[in-house]
Amino acid sequence: MANDRFKYKLEIQQMMFVSGETGEPSPETTGIIEDIVRGQVIEMLIQATAQAARRGSRSISTDDLIFLIRHDKAKVSRLRTYLSWKEVRKTAKDQDRDVDTADLVEDSAAGDALKMRQKRAKISLPWEVASYFSEQPPEVDDEDDEEEAEANVATLARLKSADERTKSMTKDEYVHFSECRQASFTFRKSKRFREWAGFGLVTDAKPNDDIVDILGFLTFEIVQVLTEEALRIKDAEDKLQTSNKENDKKRKRDRFLFDGPGEGRTPVEPRHIEEAFRRLQRPRAKSKAMRNFEGGGVMKTRVGLM
Amino acid sequence: MSSYPSTNLRVQILRDERSRTRTNSIDPAEAEKEEQIDPLTAACRARYAQFEKAIAAIFPSNRPCCATELTVHELLGIEEPNDDEIDILLPNGVSKDGEKSAPVIRARRAEEDDDYDMDEDEDEVPPPPPPPPPVQKSRSPIPPTIQISSPDRTKSPSGKDSATVTREKLEADKKAAEDAAKLSFSTMFYTLESDRDAMLEQQKLDESDRQVNAEANAQGAPGKLSNANLGASSLTLKHLIARIDAKRERVAVSDMELRNLMSEVKKNRSKWASEDKVGQEELYEAAEKVVLELRAQTEHSTAFLNRVNKREAPDYFNIIKQPMDLGTVMKKLKQLAYKSKKEFIDDLNLIWQNCLQYNGDPKHYLRKHAIAMQKMTQNLIPLIPDITIRDRAEVEAEEAGAHDQDADAESDDEPIMSSRMNRKAPGTSKSKKGGAKPARTESTPEAKPPIVNIQGVPDIKARDSPVPGHMLAETSGLGSQNGFGSPALAHTPSNGLISTLDLDPASEKYEVDDDLDPEYKIWKTMTKKARARAASERHKLFRGTKINLDEPALIRTRVGMGRYIRSELAHGDKDAATKDIKAPLAVAVEEHAEEEDDLLPNYYKILDGVPELPHNLQWLGDDGEEIDRYNENLRLGPKAAFTQPTTGLARNMDSNMKMMQDTRKICHKIGVIKQMQVQTQVYNNQFAKYDPQEFVEREPEDFLVSDDGPVYCEEIQRAAFQRSIAKIFYHAGFEDYQPTAFDLVTDIATSFFKKIGQTVMLYSEAVLPTGRFAPDEILLHTLAENGLEIDTLESYIRDDVERLGGKLVQLNERMRAHLADLLRPALNDVENPEAAEEDMRHFVNGDFTDDIGDDYYGFKDLGLEREFGMSISSGLMRVLQTRINSNYQTQSAINPAVPLTEYKVPPPFEPLSRDILKDQIGLVQNFFLAKLHANSDEPLIEDEDLPIKQRAPKPRLPPTGKITTPRKRPVSGQGGNSKKKKRPNPPPPVATKPPPAGSTAIIAPTATPPLSEENNGSGPKFEEKDLDNTPGMMSPESIMAV
Repeated sequence: MANDRFKYKLEIQQMMFVSGETGEPSPETTGIIEDIVRGQVIEMLIQATAQAARRGSRSISTDDLIFLIRHDKAKVSRLRTYLSWKEVRKTAKDQDRDVDTADLVEDSAAGDALKMRQKRAKISLPWEVASYFSEQPPEVDDEDDEEEAEANVATLARLKSADERTKSMTKDEYVHFSECRQASFTFRKSKRFREWAGFGLVTDAKPNDDIVDILGFLTFEIVQVLTEEALRIKDAEDKLQTSNKENDKKRKRDRFLFDGPGEGRTPVEPRHIEEAFRRLQRPRAKSKAMRNFEGGGVMKTRVGLM
Repeated sequence: MSSYPSTNLRVQILRDERSRTRTNSIDPAEAEKEEQIDPLTAACRARYAQFEKAIAAIFPSNRPCCATELTVHELLGIEEPNDDEIDILLPNGVSKDGEKSAPVIRARRAEEDDDYDMDEDEDEVPPPPPPPPPVQKSRSPIPPTIQISSPDRTKSPSGKDSATVTREKLEADKKAAEDAAKLSFSTMFYTLESDRDAMLEQQKLDESDRQVNAEANAQGAPGKLSNANLGASSLTLKHLIARIDAKRERVAVSDMELRNLMSEVKKNRSKWASEDKVGQEELYEAAEKVVLELRAQTEHSTAFLNRVNKREAPDYFNIIKQPMDLGTVMKKLKQLAYKSKKEFIDDLNLIWQNCLQYNGDPKHYLRKHAIAMQKMTQNLIPLIPDITIRDRAEVEAEEAGAHDQDADAESDDEPIMSSRMNRKAPGTSKSKKGGAKPARTESTPEAKPPIVNIQGVPDIKARDSPVPGHMLAETSGLGSQNGFGSPALAHTPSNGLISTLDLDPASEKYEVDDDLDPEYKIWKTMTKKARARAASERHKLFRGTKINLDEPALIRTRVGMGRYIRSELAHGDKDAATKDIKAPLAVAVEEHAEEEDDLLPNYYKILDGVPELPHNLQWLGDDGEEIDRYNENLRLGPKAAFTQPTTGLARNMDSNMKMMQDTRKICHKIGVIKQMQVQTQVYNNQFAKYDPQEFVEREPEDFLVSDDGPVYCEEIQRAAFQRSIAKIFYHAGFEDYQPTAFDLVTDIATSFFKKIGQTVMLYSEAVLPTGRFAPDEILLHTLAENGLEIDTLESYIRDDVERLGGKLVQLNERMRAHLADLLRPALNDVENPEAAEEDMRHFVNGDFTDDIGDDYYGFKDLGLEREFGMSISSGLMRVLQTRINSNYQTQSAINPAVPLTEYKVPPPFEPLSRDILKDQIGLVQNFFLAKLHANSDEPLIEDEDLPIKQRAPKPRLPPTGKITTPRKRPVSGQGGNSKKKKRPNPPPPVATKPPPAGSTAIIAPTATPPLSEENNGSGPKFEEKDLDNTPGMMSPESIMAV
């Protein structure tokens, strides 16, 4: 078994765990997910490179990458949050080094909070309103975050479900969970990731750190989406099976106090992932519209970005 | 309902029909015909006819004339007289039903064939000519042919000579066919596909005509036309003659008178007429007709019209020694090269014979044509009088001798035709044949037909070959016989040749003829000329695939319209008949009716049927006054057909765009101000005016429409669509676009909207079991099919229009605030105008703009004055000065409002003199010493303290932003001088001025030599040089500082 082919088994498992998979997925499952993710990353790189070429640049910028997912406003907003916090973290780290550790604790905390607020630079994208104009007015803090709030609904829901899950956790479990949350394809494994994703083949070998970070973020999102979809499929399948079973034989026996534990949740299997992938790849009506009355036919050859 | 019994009836009819066919076949008169036509075929044809009628019965017309109350009995009744009186009934039969004509004609032909065969047999039975009956002999000046007429012929009711009879029969035949074709117009629709061929063939024919004419003309004078007396050929006047003959009893005029009349009429008729040549006119007239007739058979004759070209058939002249074609024949006719009928006929036959010989392959397509032409020739030969042309003198001498006999022999009963022939064509040997029967009977049509089969050839032989013999026998005593011998000799071989050739065609005969529907064939031949003309006229109307604009307009003719009305009347269209206008027209046109000779059905004459135009489209007032009647129909097109509505989304987008423009204006101001702060000098027109116009959708110019319904004009629609797209582009943040991209988007959008339209069509036309889609269902389906969801649209409106509007407003406010911030110093200044006024004195540029009173920099355009209540001359300039002031190190320009004044200005440096030199650091002491020395030990003055004129000009970054030349080679150690000089600024006036370590390090290699070099220079000069160099090094820094 070409186990070495798959390099992110653990990370994927952790991500799946965070995304709601309680069981331990098999290597086959993670392998499939890894392949899918890899395909997505490569596709993203290719498209971003093409986009950059159209712009007249040889190397891709973060904007090129974000441009690919621009229609998913929630995702873009999450990404921006992520990037801006990353910025904050970096500057904070620098400042930490500068600032004497002797500072008063509450002082530094308050100062940090203030700094973060100030420094949390808004990542502006070229297709936003501000770029319509040649001059940029100075940043104003009291941005209305209506849009952002809207875009964050999904994120909040996710956080809430994670909160629910962690509520009843023991300390160790919670530690494990929070460790898992940090799982990343790229964090501190930038080189491995670059090799894995084929940098240098599909795009230039030395990408911006930001790009790798964005990709790390996006890969996490992909795994999450896939897992969630697969879980949904599996739930539906399970429900169908149990209902069938119930119909078959009217519950052989009631459960008793000392019965052995019921069969635990089985982990997501490769077929669920495949089905989830298929569903996520279903072309949208929008992309078919221009082929109406013109013969239709199979046209799509590219992988759709998730 | 009704169809059920009718089916039964039809079956019965068919059975009847078949039985009748069978009885017919037993009929001995029809025996031969039935052999030729397979009984099965006949049955099929009968059935076909039957079905045709059934169709007519099934689709009845409500017009009285076309109503077919076809009962079985009627059908049978029409069919019955078939056997005996077919010729008489023919017109009726045909008129009842055009489809009938074909079988009927065929039947008649068969009969005629039979007759003919009998004749022929009889002709051939007596090979040695029996002694001529004296009566006949006495009657004609040249008696020889009389003995040919068999006993039967003399007995036969037709008193005409065979040529006339044949001719008449031919004519009658033709006429019948014409009638048949005409009548079939109303029942049969023939497609126009063969028209083109007809046209092309006709063109070829015309061309060949022209060619022949040209050749003939080139080769000398045409036939002499001067002579009168010889009269026209029988063909020209044949109708009249036939008529007179038929009604001879009723004409109360003597023969003599009639004959005189005829000769009067015929006077000067023919171009062939010649005083000197007896018989020429008749012969040539007839021959020409034959040739023309043959040529007119364009279906077959095309190949024979002109000489065979050597290019087309290189070996042709190896095989064919004596080439011949219709064109050559015509030419020879025109050159009067034929002396007798025989020569002419030989030439004709030579053509076909050549063809058959050259194209030996029985399958060759030309053979078919040749055979057809040959047959045609055989049919036509009897039309030509058998005349040998002789000189008049000769004939007169002959006539003189025969005159006595002649005068007595003529009986009063003798038909005019024969007598005329006798008199006029003394040379004819054939004309006597007919005998002396006085009047034509009704049976004429039954007489010899125009022969479709080959047996005509022996007939000719039978008729012709004896002639010379008789002539010889009879006229041996009379003058010269020259020219007779040779034809007689030539005759036999030619006949033989023909008959051998005929063997071939005989076998091919049917395959040639039967491949077409006979009716269709008749139609084709009868209407060929007319169709060709119609087609070529139609052809003229077009050039390529476009209408030829140079062609004259098509105009309805009175006659044509009359014809149309008549046909309507004949059709029993009472509406047409009762119209007041039309009735007189129809009557008026009646007289012209006969002039219309072309055999074309009405659908070739579309113009005639064009109905009258409605009254209000007429153009009235020819007397210079034009009464415009268009007002009733034309009106101005609807307004706002091509502009967007001012409600809904459009309004929002418009306001967004306005906001964008406004914000852009502010941006422009900010940009200008920023730029001004950077530059010390500002040029006129440096800043392009930015004053975007509000978007206004213009209406197209007024236009007229004549109808309700949507206004359609592709160009305007596209333009309007592009305008909308451009707006959306602008709304999305683009300020300008490449035209190609714009076009592309337009095309894509067009295609998308087309698809939406198509989908709407589909759904609105779709039929559900429960009815149709409701409008909202249609809309939803359409959106879904085209990849749009309500959500998408809604989110577009919410996010990309409404929320964008909000953002834009916000941004606009922030931008304004930003601008206000930039202008704040100036705004503060406004509070103490005197100081500002004072400052302006120093600001030269500002002053002079004030004097000129011109808005030199276009500040007015920026509109700042209005916005902030500043005066241009004071406030604005001060904004710029904030920066300029900071450049003046002397701080001479005191700006009380500027917070800089809050700290104390440090005391100026003490001028460098020998006294304070020792306080400076050791490294520069030598340097300064040298300078002082150069300055003759006077204290050195600081740069800033020099009078302005002595100062080195501070190089500035030119507007291009490029530093063109490094002013001089960089001098190390002085790079940071001016700055360093000021910064450490030790209170003791003797500055040590340490050279900056960094800069020496960087420019290490060049560091020392310049120093020593400059030590040589004289004091003040050196000072200047130094100053000169300083800014060169500074400039990058100044850029950075800015």
